[in-house]
Amino acid sequence: MQKLRSLVGLSIIFVFMFSLVACNSSKSSSSASKPSKTEADGASTVNIGYSGPLSGPAAFYGKRTLNGTEMAAEEINKAGGFEVNGKKYKLNVVALDDKYLPNETGANAKRLLQENKTPIIFTPHSGGVAALQVFNQTENKFIIGAYTSEPKITENGNKLTVRIPPRYDGYIEPFTKYEMDHFGKKIAFLPTSSQYGKDWSEKLQPYWEKQGGKVVYNSSIDFAKDTDFFTIVTNALKKKPDVLFIGGASEPTAKVAKQARELGFKGGFIVMDQAKLDEMKKVTGSYDVLNGAIGVMPLVHSESPGIPEFIKNYKAKYNEDPGSEAGLNYIATYVFVEAMKAAGSVDDPEKIRAHMQDGLDKLPEDKKVYVIPKIDDHGGFEGELIIAAVEDGKIVPIKVK
Amino acid sequence: MEIFVQQMFNGLTIGSVYALVALGLTLVYGILHIPNFAHGALYMMGGYITLTMMTNFGLHYWLAILVSILAVGLIGVLMERLVFHPLRHAPPIHDKIAAIGILLFLEAFAQYVWGADYQTMPSPYDQVVHLFGLTFTMQRLLIIVFAIAVMILLYVFLKKTFIGATIIAMSQDREGANLVGINTNRTAMLTFLISGGLASIACSLAAPINLVFPGMGQLVILKAFVIIILGGMGSIPGAILGGYILGFSESLGATYISNDYKDIIAFVLLVIILSVKPTGLFAKGGH
Repeated sequence: MQKLRSLVGLSIIFVFMFSLVACNSSKSSSSASKPSKTEADGASTVNIGYSGPLSGPAAFYGKRTLNGTEMAAEEINKAGGFEVNGKKYKLNVVALDDKYLPNETGANAKRLLQENKTPIIFTPHSGGVAALQVFNQTENKFIIGAYTSEPKITENGNKLTVRIPPRYDGYIEPFTKYEMDHFGKKIAFLPTSSQYGKDWSEKLQPYWEKQGGKVVYNSSIDFAKDTDFFTIVTNALKKKPDVLFIGGASEPTAKVAKQARELGFKGGFIVMDQAKLDEMKKVTGSYDVLNGAIGVMPLVHSESPGIPEFIKNYKAKYNEDPGSEAGLNYIATYVFVEAMKAAGSVDDPEKIRAHMQDGLDKLPEDKKVYVIPKIDDHGGFEGELIIAAVEDGKIVPIKVK
Repeated sequence: MEIFVQQMFNGLTIGSVYALVALGLTLVYGILHIPNFAHGALYMMGGYITLTMMTNFGLHYWLAILVSILAVGLIGVLMERLVFHPLRHAPPIHDKIAAIGILLFLEAFAQYVWGADYQTMPSPYDQVVHLFGLTFTMQRLLIIVFAIAVMILLYVFLKKTFIGATIIAMSQDREGANLVGINTNRTAMLTFLISGGLASIACSLAAPINLVFPGMGQLVILKAFVIIILGGMGSIPGAILGGYILGFSESLGATYISNDYKDIIAFVLLVIILSVKPTGLFAKGGH
């Protein structure tokens, strides 16, 4: 009897689960299959490693960065792979979850090196990059595909790190100028309380003050702990700022902006590069709420040559608009492949790193989701900064001098 | 002065949400002496089910909440039947481990079904009301009014109805309740049903002012535990009062002391209250 009852209970829970799964419109992607070393058509496999947050609160971010790399790998394989020294290769992306924890990134990388012999490991957070830099130049060498705009990671002299996005401190000057010209000199700081948010604040504050501005409120919001932002936004607005500095993941950042408007704020926003204006719009409903905001140009509004094709393919595959996380990792994967071709090696990280500039030069025009002409001596991609402001409910590109 | 009133209002809003979550937690604790760590996951499920009902089935906000209350209540009942009931003779540590297991399961389940992204719950009450230099939004007023209404209803139910009285009786003495003919199994299921329903109401009300995502339960569950310890484990007035104490200490503390230390303020309060009354504000004897 007892058994029967628990059986009935179990079946109910399963029915319930499957009905919920059926409700769900978005499809989760299937995990990458593991091909054998040599496939039927004679192509060998190059494993590309990835370690990023695939579960927990930052999982959506990790997934988007991974999507870019996986999409590029898939396209390359569909086109028949690539040739290095007369030998055909295909890409296989091996993704591991590090839950956003640097120590897990380190452990994952060791595993990737031992099991998959990955010459390149992508990781989308500065803490993870720092953990990998401890041992990426020792016996088992590998290149870090670092998706972080933190300048420190390339300036510390690590020779096998490639920083994919533009460094964030380039944004500070144009952002400050735009907001000071349009709104005024009083600013309140309300970024995310992550290390990255603090680094941004520390760079922005001296520059803002040097330009004759004043920081009237300086705090941060912990998006992982605060249920409601009304309290802190009320306190910030009490000081009558002309501009708010906000940032973090796009969606909660958008909530902060929206609540500031609800509380009667009429000024502008400096939006940290982690948040994307188009993703914020999904939360606020329209760009009107974000009038006067300046931030990174959303990929979907960008005019680089590779954009239309990329957006179409990405939407078909993942059923959402791509952001720069996907776009930059996509382009980086292509550049690494071109660099392997130029280097004539798929497993010597130093050779590949040495030919990164060739990789950038040889990147096909139609893959240029971003225009990146150069890699600097420290391993940072020097792309042009493309920034945008919201004016009268529309995205307006802003020229950086 | 305006700031003070505005922050009182903000504290009242968030305190109402805390109190609702803590109520569900304290009810279960009072009856089964299980610290239900999975309660935060029930909260999260409530948000997702309301959202799914609204976006995929086009139900009105209130109807969606109703469906969500029933669905989450049912998950609560299933939890009791499939996990806690079979463990009733096991050492207490097993309940706790099981609760954490359910928490992890439900979070992973939500991420699998709905994805890891932040989602926005649209609310039909998005209007902003400015009054005497203060800012209210309809949704926030709604949270306060609805939460208080639910608390009053719950109180009347427990004090004035026969079924409610069985819950109280069981929380006072399980064996005694059994001896006078109360079906303890049914009462336990009922308690989980109410607890899940409360979590679902709290989340459905609070979600439009924040976002819906798999980890959202963690925002409130730790605070809910602070609240029920502060109010006395298993005490209903304790959970309500504790919820508002925490809400006010956060909003006023952030304003007049320091935003960076507002969480510390709540915990300092906890330390002070526990030093004076080690069993919490409204302790019940025994356990």
